[in-house]
Amino acid sequence: MSSEMFTQLVDAHYTPLYRFALSLTKSPSDAGDLTQQTFFIWAKQGHALREEGKAKSWLFTTLYREFLRIRRRSDRVTALEDLGPVEADPPAPEVDLVTGMDASLVVEALQEVDETYRVPLTLFYMQDMAYKEIAEMLEVPIGTVMSRLSRGKAQLRSALARKEAGARDKVVPFQNPSARKQS
Amino acid sequence: MNNEEAKFILQGYRPNGADAADATFCAAIEQTKTDPLLGEWFAKQQAFDAAVSAKLAQVTPPAGLRAAILAGGRVTEGGKARVRWWNQPMWMAAAAGVAVLLTAGVALWPRQAVAFDEFAFEDAKLSMIHGHGDHGASTNALQWTLSQPVTKLGQNLPVDFANLRNTGCRKIKYQGHDVLEICFNRNGEWFHCYIARSTDFPSLARNAGLAIVDKGGAAIASWANNEQIVVVVSQAGRKSLEALL
Repeated sequence: MSSEMFTQLVDAHYTPLYRFALSLTKSPSDAGDLTQQTFFIWAKQGHALREEGKAKSWLFTTLYREFLRIRRRSDRVTALEDLGPVEADPPAPEVDLVTGMDASLVVEALQEVDETYRVPLTLFYMQDMAYKEIAEMLEVPIGTVMSRLSRGKAQLRSALARKEAGARDKVVPFQNPSARKQS
Repeated sequence: MNNEEAKFILQGYRPNGADAADATFCAAIEQTKTDPLLGEWFAKQQAFDAAVSAKLAQVTPPAGLRAAILAGGRVTEGGKARVRWWNQPMWMAAAAGVAVLLTAGVALWPRQAVAFDEFAFEDAKLSMIHGHGDHGASTNALQWTLSQPVTKLGQNLPVDFANLRNTGCRKIKYQGHDVLEICFNRNGEWFHCYIARSTDFPSLARNAGLAIVDKGGAAIASWANNEQIVVVVSQAGRKSLEALL
């Protein structure tokens, strides 16, 4: 692959890849490392990919596998069955909860979602991949992706509500000594 | 399809409308048009999803990440090109001929290189933590490159010696010349990499092949070419070093 093509590939994908990596690692520096590592692997192997249209899926899949490989050394694996059933009738979420919140807080809330659900949920919110592509990438059935999205959204709503409550608690009440005297 | 099933499916419908043509969603979408309650729920869900997507889109990568990726890609591509060059039969034959002619010169390498190896080995023993702090962006970038599994050692390293020396990389003196030292971690083990300029040590044979020696539980790998002389010391033994090559 020529240097120009590599540059084009990086420009097209490094930002969404970084966002995905940030959601996985919860650390900006680790996310940067993981993104770089993904392009390193591309530089070594990706040129062999025959269909350029599949570069995006290849990059996201490679980044996710690298994350799993690194994490596998030191982390636990969550038992999915222990995480409860899918919400039968999910409530309509309040959009104001999100719109008035700082982006960093929303990302923090997303990072509080269990990893099993966070991965498809992040890909969903990045809007680059359809649920079928997410299922292919994660090597799970389509129905599993749907249920993980449903559970993930429920956890995200809870996390956002906690963030909002936390932000409210931090607000310092206005205390004006002169106003108090007058009253 | 009841409303619960429709909600389950519709939670996979992206708020940018990219799934509009997907047949999986058609029936559920139609149902939102005929059922006001479901329609209201779907509108709120889409607004919520769009808001989260918009917030996520505000996340920007750190400054310098793009440049680091591009630099890393060039280094990796460059590494591949060298391999192809070596693999050409013509050059392999020429190299074999040169190797025969330089036998006498190469024979000098072990005795002189051992001195440099010894120096590196002794320095690595002095402290197990030196070089692990922040020694500037260029050093950090090289340290990161060396720590990556895809970076193969035993060949020319992507080193701008003057830049590293002037931007905070740890340097030590050997026979009156600067030697750079970079520590890096690979597979949970720390390695000490010493880099000298070949022009500073003309007495050392150039283009020496890769050699690994064991020393008191540690292992030392060394190689050289027209540009640089490199020694890597590992306290974890030969196998850990061989994994880097």
